Amino acid sequence: MGFYMKEDDIYISSLIDLFNLRFAPVPISRDLNKEELFGGIEEMAQLQSQFNIFRTDLPFSKSAAVLGLGGLYNARAKNRWYTLLEKLPDNGDQQIADALVDNFKKKPPLPCYMCSHHASPKSENRVIITQGQPLFYLEQDYLIISLPMAPRRLPGAGKKKGK
Amino acid sequence: MARTSKRRSASGSREETELATVHAGISDYYSAKVRKFGTTPPGVDWTCLPTQELRFVQLLRMCDVTSPFSLNDLGCGYGALLSYLDRYHPASRIDYLGIDLSPAMLRRARRLWHNRANVAFAQGSFSQRLADYSVASGIFNVQQDQPRDVWERFVAVTLRRLHGTSRRGFAVNFIDAGSVARDGIYSAEPAQWSRYCIRELGATTEIIDGYGLREFTLVVRRAA
Repeated sequence: MGFYMKEDDIYISSLIDLFNLRFAPVPISRDLNKEELFGGIEEMAQLQSQFNIFRTDLPFSKSAAVLGLGGLYNARAKNRWYTLLEKLPDNGDQQIADALVDNFKKKPPLPCYMCSHHASPKSENRVIITQGQPLFYLEQDYLIISLPMAPRRLPGAGKKKGK
Repeated sequence: MARTSKRRSASGSREETELATVHAGISDYYSAKVRKFGTTPPGVDWTCLPTQELRFVQLLRMCDVTSPFSLNDLGCGYGALLSYLDRYHPASRIDYLGIDLSPAMLRRARRLWHNRANVAFAQGSFSQRLADYSVASGIFNVQQDQPRDVWERFVAVTLRRLHGTSRRGFAVNFIDAGSVARDGIYSAEPAQWSRYCIRELGATTEIIDGYGLREFTLVVRRAA
């Protein structure tokens, strides 16, 4: 997906992290016996219940923009990120929204984890949505949303070197 | 007697100076924010529109939006509450006054809402008029480098003034002290300011929490 992000592809991991923080498991307070029911996925669940942010007739990229998931400080990277989401193959943008809508119907909803995978071979060039434990250090089930990404080719890459 | 009165007046003047410094710090902070991010939620230091509006939902719970009322919005920023009311309570009849310390914020608010009936803005740290209700969202959060005792005197004075300018009641929000502490951000236990309003203002209070944000809303009503 370097095609859309171009030189801003260095920000992809931070943009994915931004999503992962906003959809993170409910934080545990300093008092280990008390779960704090705010922040992360609980905040998202409240926003969804109040404002219906994710909808089956609205692509995820539009909801992401409302939630500021494109970051604050780099307008070009933000716009390119939303374009990348809009152009996800096989209507992936809407597939993500649909999966989130289903997730928020669960009580409690699963935290969500975004990551990426290689878009090649062609069968992998799609958004892959699964459920599982993506982080070995957290025994926590997530809704996992994996975006297809193709590596950016460096200028001149693939050309034979002349003698 | 004269000495006591002089001492009291000196301490009063010290408090006024202290409060003026706090207000100036707040004004500078938010002026810088709105210059950087414009009339958007980050321009008033919120993450995004939905979280900003989720706070409005809680603050307005004390108001009956089906009947006309007057509302003071202290720390109004660029008047985001008006957009919220337009979208979710378009039939409401509200006489609105937005008050803010930041001149840069108010310039933008006036530009944004200049054609709107029953809407006015004023610069200051409290409202000069009595309204049915007052709301204040996020005004106690950004303590910056003020000592905690100074900041809490500012909170107490502001709560007193909100009470004094609200005929029926007011609502404010605080970061919950149970959340992870961050430098420069003020947080409080819900009971602390609830007790203050009951004891010092003779009001009744209600705490709203569990709405997904790391904070609580304190609703203060005049005792019947």
